[in-house]
Formats: sequence, structure tokens, C-alpha cells
Amino acid sequence: MLEARLQTAALLKKILEAVKELITDANFDCSDNGIALQAMDNSHVALVAMLLRQEGFEPYRCDRTLALGVNLVSLSKVLRSAGNEDIVTLKADSSNDTLSLTFENPDNDRISEYELKLMDIDSEHLGIPDTTYDAVVSMSSAEFARICRDLQVLSDSVQIDVTKEGIKFAAKGELGNGAVTLKQAANVDKEDESTVIELNRNCSLNFSLKYLNNFTKATPLSSRVTLSMSSEVPLLVEYKMETGYIRYYLAPKIGDDV
Amino acid sequence: MSTDPNQALKRRRLNKAGSQNGTLESQPSFLEDLNELEQFSQATKLDDPKLLWDRPSIDALDPAKDTLIFQQIEADEYTNHQNNTPVIRFFGVTEGGSSVICHVTGFLPYFYVPAPPGFKLENIPLFKQALETGMERANSIVKIEWKLKESIYGYHGGEKSPFLKITFKEPKNIAAAKRAVERGLSFGNFKDYAPQTFESNIAFLLRFMIDCNVKGANWIELPAGQYSLRHDRNSNAQINVEVSYDKMISHEPEGEWSKIAPLRIMSFDIECAGRKGIFPEAKVDPVIQIATMVTIQGESAPFIRNVMVLNTCAHIVGTHTMSFEREEDLLKTWSEFVRRVDPDVVIGYNTSNFDFPYLLDRARHLNVHDFAFLGRLNDIRTEAKDTKFSSKAYGTRENKAINMEGRLQLDMLQVMQRDYKLRSYTLNAVCAEFLGEQKEDVHHSIITELQNGNEETRRRLAIYCLKDAYLPQRLMDKLMCLINYIEMARVTGVPFNYLLARGQQIKVVSQLYRKAIEKDFVIPAVNTQGMDEQYEGATVIEPRRGYYDVPIATLDFASLYPSIMMAHNLCYTTLLTREMIQKCNLVKDVDYVITPNNDSFVTAEKRKGLLPIILEDLLSARKRAKTDLKKETDPFKRAVLDGRQLALKISANSVYGFTGATVGKLPCLQISSSVTAYGRVMIERTKQEVELRYTVENGYTHTAEVIYGDTDSVMVKFGVKTLEEAMELGKEAAEFVTTKFVKPIKLEFEKVYFPYLLINKKRYAGLYWTNPKKYDKMDTKGIETVRRDNCRLVQSVIDTCLRKILIDRDVVGAQEYTKQIIADLLQNKIDMAQLVITKALSKTDYANKQAHVELAERMRVRDAGSAPALGDRVAYVIIKGSKGTAAYDKSEDPLYVLENNIPIDTKYYLDNQLSKPLLRIFEPILGEKAESLLSGDHTRTIQVSTPSIGGLMRFAVKTLTCLGCKTPLKKGESAVCAQCKDRAPELYQRHLNVVNALEVRYARLWTQCQRCQGSLHQDVLCTSKDCPIFYMRKKVQKEIQDSTATLDRFVDW
Repeated sequence: MLEARLQTAALLKKILEAVKELITDANFDCSDNGIALQAMDNSHVALVAMLLRQEGFEPYRCDRTLALGVNLVSLSKVLRSAGNEDIVTLKADSSNDTLSLTFENPDNDRISEYELKLMDIDSEHLGIPDTTYDAVVSMSSAEFARICRDLQVLSDSVQIDVTKEGIKFAAKGELGNGAVTLKQAANVDKEDESTVIELNRNCSLNFSLKYLNNFTKATPLSSRVTLSMSSEVPLLVEYKMETGYIRYYLAPKIGDDV
Repeated sequence: MSTDPNQALKRRRLNKAGSQNGTLESQPSFLEDLNELEQFSQATKLDDPKLLWDRPSIDALDPAKDTLIFQQIEADEYTNHQNNTPVIRFFGVTEGGSSVICHVTGFLPYFYVPAPPGFKLENIPLFKQALETGMERANSIVKIEWKLKESIYGYHGGEKSPFLKITFKEPKNIAAAKRAVERGLSFGNFKDYAPQTFESNIAFLLRFMIDCNVKGANWIELPAGQYSLRHDRNSNAQINVEVSYDKMISHEPEGEWSKIAPLRIMSFDIECAGRKGIFPEAKVDPVIQIATMVTIQGESAPFIRNVMVLNTCAHIVGTHTMSFEREEDLLKTWSEFVRRVDPDVVIGYNTSNFDFPYLLDRARHLNVHDFAFLGRLNDIRTEAKDTKFSSKAYGTRENKAINMEGRLQLDMLQVMQRDYKLRSYTLNAVCAEFLGEQKEDVHHSIITELQNGNEETRRRLAIYCLKDAYLPQRLMDKLMCLINYIEMARVTGVPFNYLLARGQQIKVVSQLYRKAIEKDFVIPAVNTQGMDEQYEGATVIEPRRGYYDVPIATLDFASLYPSIMMAHNLCYTTLLTREMIQKCNLVKDVDYVITPNNDSFVTAEKRKGLLPIILEDLLSARKRAKTDLKKETDPFKRAVLDGRQLALKISANSVYGFTGATVGKLPCLQISSSVTAYGRVMIERTKQEVELRYTVENGYTHTAEVIYGDTDSVMVKFGVKTLEEAMELGKEAAEFVTTKFVKPIKLEFEKVYFPYLLINKKRYAGLYWTNPKKYDKMDTKGIETVRRDNCRLVQSVIDTCLRKILIDRDVVGAQEYTKQIIADLLQNKIDMAQLVITKALSKTDYANKQAHVELAERMRVRDAGSAPALGDRVAYVIIKGSKGTAAYDKSEDPLYVLENNIPIDTKYYLDNQLSKPLLRIFEPILGEKAESLLSGDHTRTIQVSTPSIGGLMRFAVKTLTCLGCKTPLKKGESAVCAQCKDRAPELYQRHLNVVNALEVRYARLWTQCQRCQGSLHQDVLCTSKDCPIFYMRKKVQKEIQDSTATLDRFVDW
């Protein structure tokens, strides 16, 4: 039995926006910790891991672990009928194959109830083991989104170089070349816009811009984003939320292969 | 667990062995075949099997007393250099099986030109001189005769006009003379006389056959005392004779003369040892085995079966095995073998484009000088020449032409490509289709390994090679190719080898010339340029779509186009111009008719057309053949008759096409467009007549409705409920409507469809009844069961659905079945073989990117050797890709997918392959509810497989999930989570059952493959991409690994 009440529907909507570009069907693993989702995209180049801790819900109840197979397109269609400020209650039962969603408006005078049919998804549960990264860069998520968007005009892939001075995004293409460099600066006034680099070793890696752009769909969830890199190890892009996170892993491009 | 799983497995195996499951039915192994063949013949019991090679010897022939009769199978022409005259040379076989070469002398080439107005007999010498000057060849004209003839093109009031028949010394003079005439000649009072030439564009050989009434593969009689023996040193034939063309007797292939001589048919296959990754090249890679089978036409089994092997080879039952140390000796012996066996027909699979060119190249490379003399004349080398064949009906094909004087060649691959539309043309696929068996397919990289092994592995390869040599023969017997082709040659009168090397037109030309000679017509040699003129085709009555649960009667016009031509006397010889109508004072509807296309033709009373006469002959001959067929009991004669009636039908139908071929020998669009115009009018008329008569007002119980009509048939809903009533009304209506048309147009009631599913124009399905007791078959048109460009799954699903709907009348069952298949598809339970799509890689530079082309390119990068080459059919499946990836980038090699466990894009198969065809058949029945088949509860269980390759897979770690509830497991848990602990025994049992079932399945698939390769104690090597068993075997193998691993997780439980 799962019962979880979320103060604003906006959060759920944003999360869905952030994953549905990469994944079509996924299991939401509910346990006493909270609700988690972990899945690879179809071409097995990227992986999404999302966690909403139980503290984020009020109240949260889950007496036994549950895997809710959800078609994300269908879920986001249902969520469209919820107002941003609505309070959402999720309910599911291990014996039942539906997920029930209740939306209450802030004035508490309109209650809508939906039931979404669940799917039985048989897939392997894959994860990327934690490692120590050579470089960890924390920066403004909006800035990161902008860079990815701008460079996509030039090329499919971006080279990211991290030194102690700063982080450089460079793209080479048929049209021409482009590069954006952000200098490490601890701007006390605008903490949200500063770029902070923790560096063990310089690194230089290539990534698919198409995927990075998909990741930036999570920008509304957090003002900051962390990029963690080591050579020949997948890139970790993390958006931290108050009561959870959304993490993306992306395999580096080696030579010409995608 | 109380039961030992192994024991359970054994028990099950015993229970199931050899029984149930249709797809895995055992097929006899080829070795058993060989064994049987040994029982059948004495071959291997002889001390020296080579004694069988030669043809039986014959007594000397006395030309003064003995009459020589033989069936000619091939003919060519040459110039006798002593007197520079053309000679026709027939190759043939006597009824006793002796080979004959017959030289026919004295026939000379000729053509006609119309005599200019005012031309008199005494002008001939001047004309001759002028022409010879124009040709720049003195003394090339033998004679010029004055003849009264009529041009075939158009009606000229029935009067003959003067023509000059010019006879030449040599065939090559014809073209020069034709050019000279067309440039214009001036002689005496005649200035720049440049008429059109007549009959100047026909090959000399065909000219001879037409004039002497020789038909393809007919019997020739040389009466005693009329011919002489020859002793040609260059001939391999047993009998060599010479005869003058007017002394030989050519028999019509009728009655007694429709028999076929005991032709020797040789079928062979070669193997060569290629290098890894490279297609064998004759300069480098040796020929290691040649297997040959020789059969006498009419006998059921080959009397010579041998295989020549480089290096040693263990004994093979029923087979003469010859070992050679040197490849040169192998080739030399085979070439000698061919000359001694002296086959009349040589068959094989892709022999023209691979085996022969390879052998010839290899022999040249190894300096085996005598090898190339494979024909009946030992002074002519067999060579491979490039030819290009272009035809509207068959497309453009580039082939190699191999000359072997006196031997017919029938490359079964070319026959298949010409006569049948198939998914794949590999020998394997073709055999599966027509013989119902799979064959072992050894990848060419393994061949070298087998050759380099020991005598046992070479024996293995030899059996494989023998089978490949035997299959073309069986295929030919099964499909009656040789007999059908011989009959076609006889009916149309063209030489046998024209049938494969030439298109449809030449057959009509041959018939037209034959008929024209009889009726004193001459045929103009028109120079046609390709005109793009299009004329309107057949009509289609707008279908009233739907599912009809009442009998629908089908009325067909029998041989529609031929009968229109006969009924309205449409022909070259009856075509009228406006001027001619005025000149001859012809009266409309009495002397001539105007067709719906506004062309005019004279009536049969005025003059019967040539084409209608040809058609009448063909159709009445067909009727005769069909009556004889009913009476005949001898299976061999039946086959001949059946081949004949088929050839007659095809020939009758091709006459219409000939008149419409704009790049043809004698196009006449007035005829062809009038034919289609009549056809359109008749269909409309039929609809009117039926709907006017069968109404409630006229006393019938229901008002009839024509729900659909196409080209030559209309479908009528009489409204009655039973088959008997519908058939009754159908017959009556057919007779009634027939009376409204000119003879011999006949509307026939042929069949009733009940029930009938009309989807769209040219798309329908129904149960086909010709008698009210039992249906004949399920008939489908234009539905995915026959198309080649989708995967097998679509075919089988549609076919099963239609069966359920039409035969079992179980619409609910069909829906359930469809849902189950969709569920299986989404859960990855469908066999990969079902999902493979094949497409021919016909060229590399397609305008748009296409899945199979892209894949071929990617495979070439991966491994150039096994990648598909130009002309191959590429097999692929669609795999999952990230959003927005184009479909052409999602194609992948099925084997690669199997090996790497790459997830299949099941959604693609559902949306792009299955959904449309399914909706098409279900919509007429279910209406809007049909959509629910494609979404619904059964689509909510999916399985996503995890590939072993892909960008992130190198880094990812699997977290085990609970086998009960799929939640990720915590440390210390290996099979189930804490909550599912009590379900563990049940889950264990379930997985154990899965593994057991898979193992049984795998064992049976393996045995199946072992049977197919003919040995139960050797490893299976086959990698046939056409074989569904192969994919199943591979997949089950993979599944066993996975599920055994799952089972192992219960270890600490």
C-alpha cells in the first residue's frame, strides 16, 4: 500500500518533463525511503536516476516495496489536468494494477480523481557505481542549458575541458567552431551564478549534445547543476532538489562512435 | 525439491520425441535419400562406376535404308566456308537416347520490299544492280522474285499488291540490304525509291524454323535415302548427318509427337575454399569439390551420382567418390566426365553467374587447357560473356552467358527469379518454399576449415555439396520446369533457349509470322522509338467495403482480352483508316464497327483478322489439351498436357500485350486501347444488366447488388442466404448476361465467396466455394499475406486472423489471437525469424537513405567478408534507438542482435508493420472498436532486454530485482525480497519449469538441425539466415543461459 501526498503538482510535472524525453516506460520503485526511478534510454547511452525522499511528502506511507510500471507519456497526459498549485495524492496497492491520482486545488473546493492503468515492465535494474571523479563542477543550471542550446547549432558533440581556471565547452562543426568558457569565481553576491570547480586532475572529454540538451529539461528543478567527470568514465549531471535529486549519466564519445 | 530435474527432463523427452508440434516435424535426412537411391539403381554395384558415363552405343546407321528420327533441342547457324552458304545445325536426341547433330543446307535468307508503282518484271535486273551497289557487295543477291502479297498492317480492301522477294547468299547481307533500301535506290526511271522493308528484322534461325514449320524442341524425321552421314572430327555426337532443308520432315508436336526424348540432365554444384572475409576469387581460391548428378528425363532418380574431391574423402553411401591430389586433375577429369556423359540439359543453381565462370577462370589460371571444351563441338571453347537483358515484365538483369553448343542450360536461380516472386532466392529459401524442407547452409568461411580437416570433415562437405547438386534437379522435377518450357517452345515455336534469354514479344512474333505465311501476308519491319503514349487501362467498380456474411457470387469473363479481340475482330489486318472507309464505301455496323475508343475495324464477314485466328487456334488447342488431360492417366503425359495448356493460356494472353508494347516489334495502340475500352464497357454493362434484372419487382426474393468489379470479374450480392441459391442465381445470371454480348465473349459463373471481406480496390479475402458442400480454399488478394516487403509476423498474423474469421467464423477468436500476438511481441516472446525483413540490395546509391542499404554499409565496416553484396537480399530487424532516430538507422543484422541481446523496437513492429494491415481487416467487421486491438490491457506487459553493447553498458552494474515483485533487492538477498519470501518455493518451481521447457526445446531444435545435416553425432555448423529453426535455436540457447543464471540465484535459499 502506497500513499504519498505532495504539496505541489508542479514538482511532479517538472520531474516528468525531465525524464520523459529519454524514457518511455519505467518502473517507479516505492519503498519506505521514498519514490525512485532508474532507467536507461532506448539506445543505452544515457541513464536517469531519480529519487524523491519520503520527507518530501506529507504524509508518506509505504508498508512494502512496490514497483509501479508507468507509461510516462500517459502519466504526463493525466498530469496536464492538474493545476501547478494543486496538492497531489498518489495511491497504489500491490494487489491492484492502477495508480490513483487525486488533485485538490489550493482553495480545497475542487477535487479531481484519476486512475492510471499500470504496466508490467520486465527489465533489468541497472545502475552506475559511485566513483571519485577527477573534476566536479558546480554551476548555474540555466547557464548550462544555454551553453548546450547554443553549441548545438554548430555540432552534435561538445568537448568539455576542465582546468583549475575554469570550464570550457567547445564545439566544431561544418558551419564553424564555437567555445564558451566559464571562469571559476566565487561570486558572493550572486551565489547562484558562480562556477565552482573541485579539481584533482585536468580532464577533457567529448559528449553528445543531443543528450545533454535532453538533460537540461531538468533545469526548472534546480538553479544549480553539478557536472562530475573523469576520463573514460560516464559523465554525471546532477540536479539537486530539496528532498531528492535527479541524476543523468552519459557515456563519453570515443573516437567516432556514438 | 523431491524430483531430480534431470530425470524429469528425460521423461519429458521420451514423451515428446518425434510427436506433436507441426513446425518441427522431422524431415528425412539426405543420407537416407542417398541410401535409397543406391537401392534403386545398380550404379555403385558396378566395379567401375565410370562405365555408366557413356551413352549406350548404337549400331551403325545406313542412310539408304534407315530413317532417322530425333527430337531437336537446340539449333544454331554457321557459314560453310567452302561455298559461303549458311547452314543450320540441329542438336538432338533420338528416342533410343543417342545424340545427333544434323546439318541442314540450302535454306537462304530473304526479305520483301513493295514494288514501286509502275515496276515491271524487266526492271528486276536494274533493281538488283542498284541494290548491290547500294550494299557495296557484289554478287550477294541470289535472286529477286515478283510476288503478290498484302501488308499485315491495316485493311486495304482485300487486294494484294506486288512485292519483290529478295533472296540473299548470307544472313549478314540482310542488314546491309535493309540499310541500302532505306537510304533510297535509284534505277531506270525510278528515283530515290526508299520503301519500308518487310520481314527484314527477324533472325535467320527463326526465319528458317518458321518457313520449314520447325517448332522449338519438336521431332524431326529424315527419311531414308534423303540424307547423308558425316564424319566430323570436331563432333562429340554419336550420329552426324546432313540433309537439304526441303527433304526433312518436321512433325507438329501433337499426339504421338508430343513425347519427349530421354534427355540426359546433369545437375552440379562446386565448392571452393575461400579465405576469411573475402568472397572466393578464381585466381587465388581453389575449387575443392564438384558434385554431379545425372538423370534421364522421365526417370525419378539420378543414375549417376558422384563427387570429385581434392584430397581424400571417406566413403559416402550410394555415391561414386573420386579423390584427387592435384586440382588440375580434378578439373580435367570433370571436363572429361561432362564430355563422356554428354548431357543434353545442364542445370544447377546460379551456375551461369557463379559455377561456370569460376570453373572456366580457375581452369585458365591453372592452365588446364582442355577444360573449356564442354560443348558438343570440340573445336569451340566454352566461354562466359556478359549479357544484359531488359524487359518490362522482368526488369533489367545482368547475367553471364555461357555457351555450350548442343546443351540446353537451365539455371534454376534464373528460372525462379523469372517465374516466381519470392522473399528470398537462396537455394535454401526456394527449397523451403517448394520442397518443404530446410537445407543445411554452411557459411563459406567454414568450408575451408572442413576442407583442411580430415577425410571425415571432407566427407561432410561432400554430402553438403551433393545435396546442393541434387536439389536443383528435384526443384525442376517438382515445378515441371523443363516440361513446361519445352511445351512453351512448342506452342510458340521459338527455340528453347529464347525462353530464358528473350522476353515475351519474340514468342508472339514467331506465331504471327507463322500465321502470316499461311495467309500470304507480309509483316513490315517498323523502327520503333520508345513512345511514352499511355492508354487507359482496365476499370474498377468502386467497392462497397465491408464484411459480407452472405454468399457473394463472382462472375468472370473467360479469357477476357483474347475473347474481345475475337469477338470484335480486332487485328492489324482489319484496322481501318478514314480514307479507306471512304475509298471502299464501307457501311458502318455492316462492313465495319467503331470501337468505344473510336477506332474502326472491319467485321469478320468482310475479313477475318489474323490475331483472332491465332487466338482461336490457341484457345481451341487449350480446350483440346484440357480434355485430353481429363482423360489421360499416365502421370508423365499428364504433366506434358498440363504444361501445354498453361503455355497456351499464357500465349493467348500475351498477344494483347504485344500490340500495346510501344517499344515493340509491331505496336498498334488502336488495337490495345480498343481492347481495354471494350473491357471497361462490358464490366459496366454487366453491372447494369444484373442490377436491372435481379430485383424484388421482377419477382426475385432480394434485389441484387454489384459490390465490386475489377478488369474481368464482378462480385454480386444476390441477397440470398444459402450457397445453393447463390450458385443457382450466379449460373443463371452468367448465362443471361452472356447473351447480351458478341460471341465468343462468355461470362462464367466460377465461384462464390462466403463469407467475403472487401477491404478496398484490389484488396479482399474470402472463402472460395465452387460446390455447396465443401469450400475449396481461402482466397486473398492484395493483402499482406503475399507481399514481400514486410516481416513474416505480419503475414502469419493476417493469415491466421483471416482463417479464424472466414473459416472458423470466430471473430472473437481472431481478436483474442491478435491480442495474444501483440502481447507476445511486446514481451519479446516472438521468434526473431518472424521479425526479419528482407530487401534486395539492388544498387548502392539510393536517393533516400534506406534501412537495408545503411545496414549493409555498417556490416561492411564490421566485417567485409560476411557483409551483403550487391544483388543479395539483406535481412534486418529494427532495433530500439533514442527518440527521433530515423528508422533507417535502426536496422540491424539479426545475428548481431541475437548475439548482443539488443532490444528489438517492438513498438515499431506494432505501429509500422502490424497496425495498418490489422486495422484494414478488422475495421470492416468491428468498426471503430478495431482500434482497441492495438491498445488495451494486453499491451501493458512489456519486456525490455538489456544489450551487451551500447555506450553506457560497459559501465553499468546490474542490481538484482526481486523475482516476485520486481523491486530492487537489498544486500544479502539473492532471489526474492523479504516480503516475497513465502512465495519463494512457488517462484523456484516456476523458473525451474521454464528452464526445463527451454532445454527440451533446445534439444529438439538441435536434433532437427542434426537431421537436416544428416548426421546425429556431429556438431551443427549451419548458419542459414533463411531458416526459422536457426533463429529459434540461437534464441533458445541464449534464453537457457539467462534462465539458468536466474535459477542459480536461488542457490542460498
